[in-house]
Amino acid sequence: MNFLSKKSYIAWYFVIPVVFIHLFVIGIPSILSLALCLTDWSGLGKINYVGFENFIELFDDRYFKKAIFHNILWTIIFLTVPVCIALMCAYLLTGIKRGQMFYRLAFFFPYMLASVVNCQIWKYLFHPIHGLGGFFESIGIEALASSPFTTKETSLYAAAFVDGWHFWGFLVVIYLTGMYQVDNHLYEAADIEGASKFQKFRYITLPMIRPIFIFSLMIIIIWSVPVFDYVYILTGGGPAYSSEVVANYLYTHAFVRFNVGYASAVGTLMFIYVIFIVGIFGLLRKLGWEI
Amino acid sequence: MIKTIISFVSAIILSVSFSAFSKTKVTWSMESNADRDPIFLEKLQNAYNSAQDKYELEIQFEPNETRIESLRTSMLAGMGPDIVETPGPSYVKEYQEAGMLENLDSYAAEFGWKDKLIPWAYSSGVFDGSLYAIPKTHESMVMLYNKTLFEENGWKVPTTLEELEDVAGKIKAKGMDVYTYGSSGWQPTHEHLVGIYLNNYAGPQAVYEAITGEREWTDPVFVEALELLKKHMVDEGWWSGSLENYYAIGWDDFHAQFATRGAAMMTIGTWTFQATSLGIGQSGDEWGWAPLPSLSSNSGGPNFMIAIGTTMSVNAAAKNKDGAIDVLNWIMSNKDVVIDIASDFQFGEFVVPLLLDDSDIPSTISPQVTSYLNEYARITGEGNYGYCTWTFWPAEPGVHIWKDMEVVWAGDISVEDFMYDHQKMWDKARKKNETLPVPLRD
Repeated sequence: MNFLSKKSYIAWYFVIPVVFIHLFVIGIPSILSLALCLTDWSGLGKINYVGFENFIELFDDRYFKKAIFHNILWTIIFLTVPVCIALMCAYLLTGIKRGQMFYRLAFFFPYMLASVVNCQIWKYLFHPIHGLGGFFESIGIEALASSPFTTKETSLYAAAFVDGWHFWGFLVVIYLTGMYQVDNHLYEAADIEGASKFQKFRYITLPMIRPIFIFSLMIIIIWSVPVFDYVYILTGGGPAYSSEVVANYLYTHAFVRFNVGYASAVGTLMFIYVIFIVGIFGLLRKLGWEI
Repeated sequence: MIKTIISFVSAIILSVSFSAFSKTKVTWSMESNADRDPIFLEKLQNAYNSAQDKYELEIQFEPNETRIESLRTSMLAGMGPDIVETPGPSYVKEYQEAGMLENLDSYAAEFGWKDKLIPWAYSSGVFDGSLYAIPKTHESMVMLYNKTLFEENGWKVPTTLEELEDVAGKIKAKGMDVYTYGSSGWQPTHEHLVGIYLNNYAGPQAVYEAITGEREWTDPVFVEALELLKKHMVDEGWWSGSLENYYAIGWDDFHAQFATRGAAMMTIGTWTFQATSLGIGQSGDEWGWAPLPSLSSNSGGPNFMIAIGTTMSVNAAAKNKDGAIDVLNWIMSNKDVVIDIASDFQFGEFVVPLLLDDSDIPSTISPQVTSYLNEYARITGEGNYGYCTWTFWPAEPGVHIWKDMEVVWAGDISVEDFMYDHQKMWDKARKKNETLPVPLRD
């Protein structure tokens, strides 16, 4: 009894309800769905064990490989474009004393909107009849008359652009929070030494916000794996798999093709990849990196 | 006095309770649609509930995007509605194989359902020799055209490939799109076009042979059919001006294009009749319809592709199985109810495939729809019908035929390679006994 009422265990008691909910809602279903990767389950009928057949088929699947490549591209795009813009804007915002809140709100606003709303706005904007497409056609610029979401060469980048447009405001806010925590004396000392704005950013701001910065990179890498909603709504993975990503591929197999076993194999690989990424960051932390 | 009041109140409570609990509830999860839901509530649910005292039908509406998944989850849990509505036979097959649907053979025999339904439609619900589903609506693909525009320009409604290519050139010369249609919001729209080209180029007989395994999908006649589709879609830009526009245009857009003379024709299913009548009706132009043109001598003249839109089955784990059967039987025994509801949708929805006479078609529906119904009955009655992919293709080849068609149109793979992959999927489906019922040809 004394053992149970020990003070150090009290926090655990409060966490128990959440742990139970996670276990029943996420943990057990996840383990069960991972187990399905070794079956040919259609989602309804009998479950037959097929060993590693799904994985063998998967490694030979050209569209799965294409989806992986698109996820890698997506990750690279998000690790560069929104991060650079957000860093720059956050740094510039620290110099704005009046009206800063307006900019913060304006940048963050798309992040507060539902993905469906964001997507519809951009779809209408580039609509070939009612949107910019119609306008460009009317002034004779045929090259811009088609929607970038329906053009094979641009669909992935167009979807990434809309997702990035919604996401970068979030990065601005977290970078800005980090920048405000930097000791002002460091900047004053740099000013005395005659440092330029860029030098202050490079040698003071960036090192001081490193934990937040590395954290943002980690979440971008992890969030780029299950990217789904923007692709699904804007392009559906098309045209011709040109914007297909792994999560959308999983969805199609699980819920359209009645191929749940195969979809589970895709999910298992996604899970292993995320664990691998988290493991790398954990290892870096153990090695003394400030992240 | 107090005793009298208590007795009176008790009597009221008892009678109310009795009437409330005397009817047992029958549940039906139905695809929702803002325009259609009130009609189904009034003319199906309320009409059925007023017609008898035993069961209380309760229709629960939900958008198909979420309904299909929530239905599957609830069925897996041994729950679900009493009447199971699915988007087509490939879904029925999955539920039937899982033992989740009630075998309807004994009820069909008891109530004579086979004699009430169009034979091919009845057989579309027969799996492994037993009846498991009744079509809630059946449909076909047609070619709509702006009749006023055609008359003004002296254009002839095409019936052959030569005539089609000739009129297409004239339409384009006028600065209009040949057809308006698009897949935005519903990617499987591509299968409508693939089905048209397979059936009207290769011909229904060849398609039937491929479905039943007597012919390979790699046969040159199918390859040629899809090469022709690729030419018209990609090279000629017949649909909405270009392939990219076709991908970007959705239901509202193509109806607006058709109504405002943005395009002269439209290839679409008969589910559009209500929307087309309303849309073009506002523009002052008149619309007409025609069977899809024969695209080669193989096609054997005009045919109508047959298809099942949605199906109705009884949940094997239904709480009220008898009630569910009673609802289905009530629908099939009340031709007037079906015709009344179908008329509200211009025979674009709830076209339960009951055997109808010319005299059954009400005068309230548009003359175009009336002539379509008569022609459809005549031609399919002669056995000249083709096969829509969403009714006769098993799940995986059924997705491949539209999803991977984009790869062909993009030029990433050849039609030959596409058909080779398609054949492999059919072989796999056949091996796993996933093929769907197909009506025999004469």
